[in-house]
Amino acid sequence: MLTYVVRRLLYSIVVLFAASFIIFFFVSVSNDPLSFLRMQPTASEITIENISERKHLDEPIPVRYLYWVQDMFTNQFGTTTIGDRPILPDLTRVMGHTLQLVIAAELIAILLAIGIGVYSALRQYSAFDYSATTFSFVGLATPVFWLALMLQVLFVNIYLWFDIRIFYTANLSGIDPGTGLSFLLDRAQHLGLPVITLAIASIATYSRFMRASMLEVVNSDYVRTARAKGLHERKVTMRHAFRNALIPLVTIIALNLGALLSGAVVTETVFALDGMGFYYYNQLLLGDPYPVMAWLMVVATLVVVFNLVADIAYGILDPRVRYD
Amino acid sequence: MPEPVLSIRDLTVEFKTEDGVVRAVTDVTYDLFPGETLGIVGESGSGKSVSVMTMLGLVPMPPGKLVGGEALYKGRDLLKIPKKELRNIRGGEVAMIFQDPMTSLNPVFKIGDQISEALQTHRDGLSDGDARKKTIELLELVGVPYAERRYDQYPHEFSGGMRQRAMIAMAIANDPTVLIADEPTTALDVTIQAQIIEVMRAAQDETNAATILITHDLGLVAELADRVVVMYAGRVVELGDVHTIFNSPRHPYTVGLMNSLARVDLDREWLEPIPGQPPSMISPPPGCAFHPRCAFSRGRERCRTEIPPLRGFGDGLAHLSACHFAEELEAQHVTAALALEPS
Ligand SMILES: Nc1ncnc2c1ncn2[C@@H]1O[C@H](COP(=O)(O)OP(=O)(O)OP(=O)(O)O)[C@@H](O)[C@H]1O
Ligand SMILES: [Mg+2]
Repeated sequence: MLTYVVRRLLYSIVVLFAASFIIFFFVSVSNDPLSFLRMQPTASEITIENISERKHLDEPIPVRYLYWVQDMFTNQFGTTTIGDRPILPDLTRVMGHTLQLVIAAELIAILLAIGIGVYSALRQYSAFDYSATTFSFVGLATPVFWLALMLQVLFVNIYLWFDIRIFYTANLSGIDPGTGLSFLLDRAQHLGLPVITLAIASIATYSRFMRASMLEVVNSDYVRTARAKGLHERKVTMRHAFRNALIPLVTIIALNLGALLSGAVVTETVFALDGMGFYYYNQLLLGDPYPVMAWLMVVATLVVVFNLVADIAYGILDPRVRYD
Repeated sequence: MPEPVLSIRDLTVEFKTEDGVVRAVTDVTYDLFPGETLGIVGESGSGKSVSVMTMLGLVPMPPGKLVGGEALYKGRDLLKIPKKELRNIRGGEVAMIFQDPMTSLNPVFKIGDQISEALQTHRDGLSDGDARKKTIELLELVGVPYAERRYDQYPHEFSGGMRQRAMIAMAIANDPTVLIADEPTTALDVTIQAQIIEVMRAAQDETNAATILITHDLGLVAELADRVVVMYAGRVVELGDVHTIFNSPRHPYTVGLMNSLARVDLDREWLEPIPGQPPSMISPPPGCAFHPRCAFSRGRERCRTEIPPLRGFGDGLAHLSACHFAEELEAQHVTAALALEPS
């Protein structure tokens, strides 16, 4: 197991190096870092030349790549083209915010979806099952931005009519978020709506998967064996069926997490949350390649890490998975 | 005659399917006596599994539906007792071995733990250590080598034959009074089958359980069973002790089964399969369900219109057949099935 993890980590390093070259190559050929500088009216020829020198923009791409890699390791993921700001602090900040958002949304989604999925499967074709199915399809079919906007409209109106502020509808913190408990409350009020938005989509997906895999498992021979042993029905489902039904869900969650961390763009944009997606979107608009590349590297790393976590979780749940 | 441990009376079970209602089991009646082995034979789909699984509450309902009948175990009707009591009997006094050992064990739990679980479910306060010890003894009994080490292995680390041994160990863990084996060898290859039959015998010797042995394999019946129930299209068509069934079958379907059996004592060039297909269970043929395939019916109207009841021959109810013309078979069976060697 340990050797497996170590080997996977070493392998991941290779993958990330390959990814870094691909990222650098494609971003560099698709975007001349100086072109957006030239469009800035305030940038003089001399400034541009300085920047060009600092970033070694005269060198061929492989050489620039090596400078970039060096920057990644030794110089806080490199600096922005304008202003020479280090990129790492910005990235850490937005990643922290996105992690708060995604982890909260996914925890809620996973717990609820497992509950809904299992109960739907055990009471197949019941009123509950039909409602859950309808909810999932509606949830999957609703565009995220529309849902986000509707939630904003709803809670703004609640505020206007009843003068109760349950959730804030934009940004991450109030003017004076306070400290300790009042900070946490403020954060929760700000994250509430984006969390709901993300969670609804995830619940819709996960509960479908959970229901399907539970249905498959409850009719399996080994569940019948468990029942034939004289076990209580609760133990039959919770011990023998549930654990097997979880296995396929792990893969879906891991894949989805990787996508969410990088791709909560719409949600973050609508709620003006200073997170990964929002950051990426703004950097793309600016046209500065260095933050974009740093961001892509972070996302590549996250995807690799989540795949590894999924594989390990898989192995813990399913003894048939071999670590060799 | 001793009291039966298990009496099935007029058991009738249906399934609702998309194509219509499947009458899987109709008016099935038989007794199981202490210490005996009762073989149940019949084609695939004839209702063998459903008839035994219904009484243990292992048929999913819905889509299944108990239309009627009784399953009396020690005087109590298993079909009506509270769930909790049924759970206590299931896996304890009445245990079951399933057909497919490849899928009947839970892939995510250790073999040993799955057997220990069966022990601990029925023995309050049995410690993990004692359960483990007892499980290892059971594994040794059914011939799993290195039982101590194999306790901690998972099903995928066991071969099919070894898994079936583990299933048998699980079934006999609580010294059952009734052991139901649903085609315990069908999924295994021939050499392994012989070994599993030996294990079955050892398990019976150990527990002295009355056994219901469901199988397609008439050879297995000849070897292990004391009495035989022959099922066709969800009904019992013949019932009798094993010598009677093999030597003087009183139902054309049984005769057909005997003719399709490969036997070393008969120097036959080929086997004779029963012509035609098993009947539809949704709309079975009217009258005797076997009549379209029957070599003895010869188009007689009674076979097409009247459902033949089970009736007794000779000494009371020891030999039953559901054929209108069972008497005619007496003359013909000799050519069909020759003497079964007393074993
Ligand atoms: N869960 C179910 N849903 C619908 N029909 C079923 C179900 N279980 C059994 N049946 C039907 O009941 C009939 C009897 O099935 P059963 O499993 O008892 O046959 P069997 O004699 O055990 O056959 P085999 O030798 O193949 O095991 C079959 O026609 C089958 O299609
Ligand atoms: Mg069967």
